[in-house]
Amino acid sequence: MLLDPGMDLTLRPMKYPHFFDRFKDAIKNTWTVEEVDLHSDLADLAKLSPAEQHLVSRLVAFFATGDTIVANNLVLNLYQHVNSPEGRLYLSRQLFEEAVHVQFYLNLLDTYVPDEQERFEAFAAVENIPSIARKAEFCFKWIDSVFDLRKLETKEHRRAFLLNVICFAACIEGLFFYGAFAYVYFLRSRGVLQGLASGTNWVFRDESMHMAFAFDVVDQVRAEEPDLFDATMEQQVRDMLAEAVECEVQFAADLLEQGVSGMSLGDMREYLQHVADRRLAALGIDPMYGSRNPFAFMELQDVQELSNFFERRVSAYQVGVTGTVSFDDDF
Amino acid sequence: MTAATQDPPATGLVPEQRRNVMQVRKRNGDLEPVDVNKIVKAVELWVADLGEVDPLRVATKTISGLYDGATTAELDKLSIQTAAELIGEEPQYSKLAARLLAAYVDKEVRGQGVASFSQSIRYAHGLGLIGDETAAFVARNARKLDDAVDVAGDLRFEYFGLRTVADRYLLRHPQSRLVVETPQYWLLRVACGLSTDAREAIGFYRLMSSLAYLPSSPTLFNSGTRHTQMSSCFLVDSPKDELDSIYERYHQVAKLSKFSGGIGIAWSRIRGRGALIRGTNGKSNGIVPFLKTLDAGVAAVNQGGRRKGAACVYLEPWHPDIEEFLELRDNTGEESRRTHNLNLANWIPDEFMRRVEADGEWSLIDPSDAPSLPDLFGDEFTEAYQAAEKKAVKTVKARDLYGRMMRTLAQTGNGWMTFKDRSNALSNQTGEPGNVIHLSNLCTEILEVNNDDETAVCNLGSINLGQHVNVDGVDWVKLRETVRTAVVYLDRVIDINYYPSQQAAASNPRWRPVGLGLMGLQDAFFTLRLPFDSAEAKELSTRVQEEIFLTALETSAELAAAVGPHPAYPETRAAKGELHPDLWGAEVTQTGRWEALRSAIAAHGLRNSLLIAIAPTATIASIAGAYECIEPQVSNLFKRETMSGEFLQINTYLVRELKSRGLWTAAIREQIKRAEGSVQAIAELPDDVRELFRTAWELPQKALIELAAARAPFIDQSQSLNLFMAAPTINKLSSMYLYAWKAGLKTSYYLRSRPATRIQQATVAVAPAVTAPVSLIPALTPAEACSLENPESCEACQ
Repeated sequence: MLLDPGMDLTLRPMKYPHFFDRFKDAIKNTWTVEEVDLHSDLADLAKLSPAEQHLVSRLVAFFATGDTIVANNLVLNLYQHVNSPEGRLYLSRQLFEEAVHVQFYLNLLDTYVPDEQERFEAFAAVENIPSIARKAEFCFKWIDSVFDLRKLETKEHRRAFLLNVICFAACIEGLFFYGAFAYVYFLRSRGVLQGLASGTNWVFRDESMHMAFAFDVVDQVRAEEPDLFDATMEQQVRDMLAEAVECEVQFAADLLEQGVSGMSLGDMREYLQHVADRRLAALGIDPMYGSRNPFAFMELQDVQELSNFFERRVSAYQVGVTGTVSFDDDF
Repeated sequence: MTAATQDPPATGLVPEQRRNVMQVRKRNGDLEPVDVNKIVKAVELWVADLGEVDPLRVATKTISGLYDGATTAELDKLSIQTAAELIGEEPQYSKLAARLLAAYVDKEVRGQGVASFSQSIRYAHGLGLIGDETAAFVARNARKLDDAVDVAGDLRFEYFGLRTVADRYLLRHPQSRLVVETPQYWLLRVACGLSTDAREAIGFYRLMSSLAYLPSSPTLFNSGTRHTQMSSCFLVDSPKDELDSIYERYHQVAKLSKFSGGIGIAWSRIRGRGALIRGTNGKSNGIVPFLKTLDAGVAAVNQGGRRKGAACVYLEPWHPDIEEFLELRDNTGEESRRTHNLNLANWIPDEFMRRVEADGEWSLIDPSDAPSLPDLFGDEFTEAYQAAEKKAVKTVKARDLYGRMMRTLAQTGNGWMTFKDRSNALSNQTGEPGNVIHLSNLCTEILEVNNDDETAVCNLGSINLGQHVNVDGVDWVKLRETVRTAVVYLDRVIDINYYPSQQAAASNPRWRPVGLGLMGLQDAFFTLRLPFDSAEAKELSTRVQEEIFLTALETSAELAAAVGPHPAYPETRAAKGELHPDLWGAEVTQTGRWEALRSAIAAHGLRNSLLIAIAPTATIASIAGAYECIEPQVSNLFKRETMSGEFLQINTYLVRELKSRGLWTAAIREQIKRAEGSVQAIAELPDDVRELFRTAWELPQKALIELAAARAPFIDQSQSLNLFMAAPTINKLSSMYLYAWKAGLKTSYYLRSRPATRIQQATVAVAPAVTAPVSLIPALTPAEACSLENPESCEACQ
């Protein structure tokens, strides 16, 4: 069983080949911070209204610590208990990606916030910006909930662990980050902060995969031990998501407090509820809100991109291409 | 940063503006309540022929995104944005958004006291934006020109096109950044900058305003202005193998880049890593550090504030640094050996491809040991290369290097395959020894001779084929007319043009090359219901190209009869009676006209050494609302990302088809989105319809190559031919590019591929993970994930 305590080292026969496939796919999408060109963003920042500048400064402050928290949970909790060498391969890869994200946002803040004092404050957002502190507390609560578990020996242990996985997949990567991405894509749909958007696009692509892997783990554990997911646990998941939505709405209230045309707090709440419903659906739980996605610019994220190469670096290429020279393949 | 937020109340609800008391701030500073009816009325002004548009929907959605105290300008902008966001449901909203935007721009121009075209020119001239000659020309012809402005012209734009125009093409006030010309004034200004009298200007304006033809961006940016740099492409020969020459090239590239030119530059003459430098008795560091400097230089020069500079470096595969060259775009490895802004192209002699095929060895030779190689092609190259092989720095297996090229293509899309011998042997400009094509350009469609003192230049423009086709076929008479006008104006650019470097000024008047291209081939195929890979499509594309080339040559011969051939005409193959189809050994169909043309050329020569090049048309096709050049559609539903933002693009031919079958439903739309723009899984569509609407990813690439080869005899330069492979392997790529070489193509362009994974879709219904053992988890079956209470997130039963 996937959560059996121990340190499985044998890759053959492979028990969870789909974990290994995710590992291989992730490697094909390697990107580096140096590829993201932030040069046009600085000019854009100067053009933004004070309300939009406030939004951006709060947003990057959240990004400054968000991925670090995810990485910490991965090492401190996930890696320990997912007892599958191929699963741990994926988690190692995920850890690398989180590190790249941290580096990207570090680079972003260094670029966006030239004033040193302001920069220090942004990095200390968890302490001095209440709307971000509230989100961080939520994360810490769920890290702490399983931190003392060295071995998952009982059903209760495994439930606690699943809740942690679900929290990070559905609430943090799946809701907090999806909320943050919405602001970035809103700005991009207005033609500003392309650098932030192109880096975020790659971050988003990675985060989508992290979330999908975590849901794989949840599904696998449920398949192996179906009675784990009882009514109580379902209710705990609902409560957790409701709290996450609240956290994110109060963050939105802070970001949008000065009035941003095209992004109202009402629409943002509806969007977050819609995303939360989707996370529940992925876990097989009925929706809580029945909200619709009000943001048409998010639909743009669901279709293929085509960049004018004069303007943008195309993010669609793969690394790790295989094969040998041949002259009679179909094409 | 201050922490200004208060803790939310215990209910979890956060106070927000109540919608019924929301106010907007008018331009005079007064506040007034937002009135949905007012917005509806403003929208209704523009819906005339747009039967599917719902003004109330736009108005309510606009208000939902608004905040209390927003300005009316913000409200106007938001209503444009809101209309644009509905395009995915109903393409007519694209026209609506465009019209709202046109009205917004119009208001901005009139707000500065500009009421007519001639006033806009006078105003912009006063601001130092318009050249003296154009200002005087407009002043002389003010009444005629003002009357010529087509007030309905803006109705033809789609939103993405007009947004691009408004954000990047219209002239702006240097301080306030407000636009000082409307879209129609802009096109008329472009026409006036190239005309000798009002009648001519109006004729050319009407052609552009109808979107049947557009010159390339530099002409659209700069015609009539104070800096009339209107050429798109510059082809710079490799610097000589000495420091002064290298730094002269940096300087030249910077100057060309500043005025919106795309640059191709060869680098094959520069010695490789480890070669001896006699002056210092040291060893060279090779080409990479120099290209790194070029990379930084290109990034630093911003093309008139509109886009970053762009350049492509060409290297021949015998160069000792070829392997490092192919890694320049990798995203891992030492940053000092990476050039993220440069594009890369291989300039490949046939001998290399022959050795690949024969699985032979390939010698890497330092140019300081064989300095003549870049100036030779065909048998002469082969002989000189073989003679130099004894001095080889290194020997590799030809297939290993070829495989490395394929890997670069797959991983970066770069490292374009362009073929030196074919490009030279089939060029009108290489009729005399010493005239050699050393490289292609940034988009691989231009092939012109150059040398150390002459930088080749090309002005481009493209015909929108979609505007010359209806369901009955091609309007050949109209096409011919368009070609005639286009060639005359492309030719005229040569004389009016501002040349940013003396090498460019030295070359262009001698050869007078132009590049007339094509866009909207896919539109024509959709209109005529021809699958891209059908025999009929190939025939049509070939005949269209023959007509364009033939008419272009006729026009150039007429110009020569009037004002004389271009000065280098005696050095061309045409002067010996050899035309491009002859070089290909291709059959022509309009034999009578070709014969007459030959006599005309024999009598008067040609005004232009080259006439045809199929450019990628990325931006002008957007403006014209056409599919790019000769490309198949990339997807039935996709987004474009540009400096103006993101834009949803939907195949309107498909929408029409679906509507006619009653299939344009939310469920089908979601299915198309889920399939990333493919309709192959839509069972309700008959086979022939699905076949017609395949995407570039779903077409056999062999067909794209064959279409390109069939039209190539009628393209005297070349074509920007992209190839598409969703999941490339070395096996497939090596087969494909060998085929392209054997088909006789001179050049190819990007290899487009798809990412291995994608962002999880956020707006289509949640599907259970495919890898999960679903049967064990009844709660996750699709039927139960679908809930009637939440119809938006699942369309399965609607």
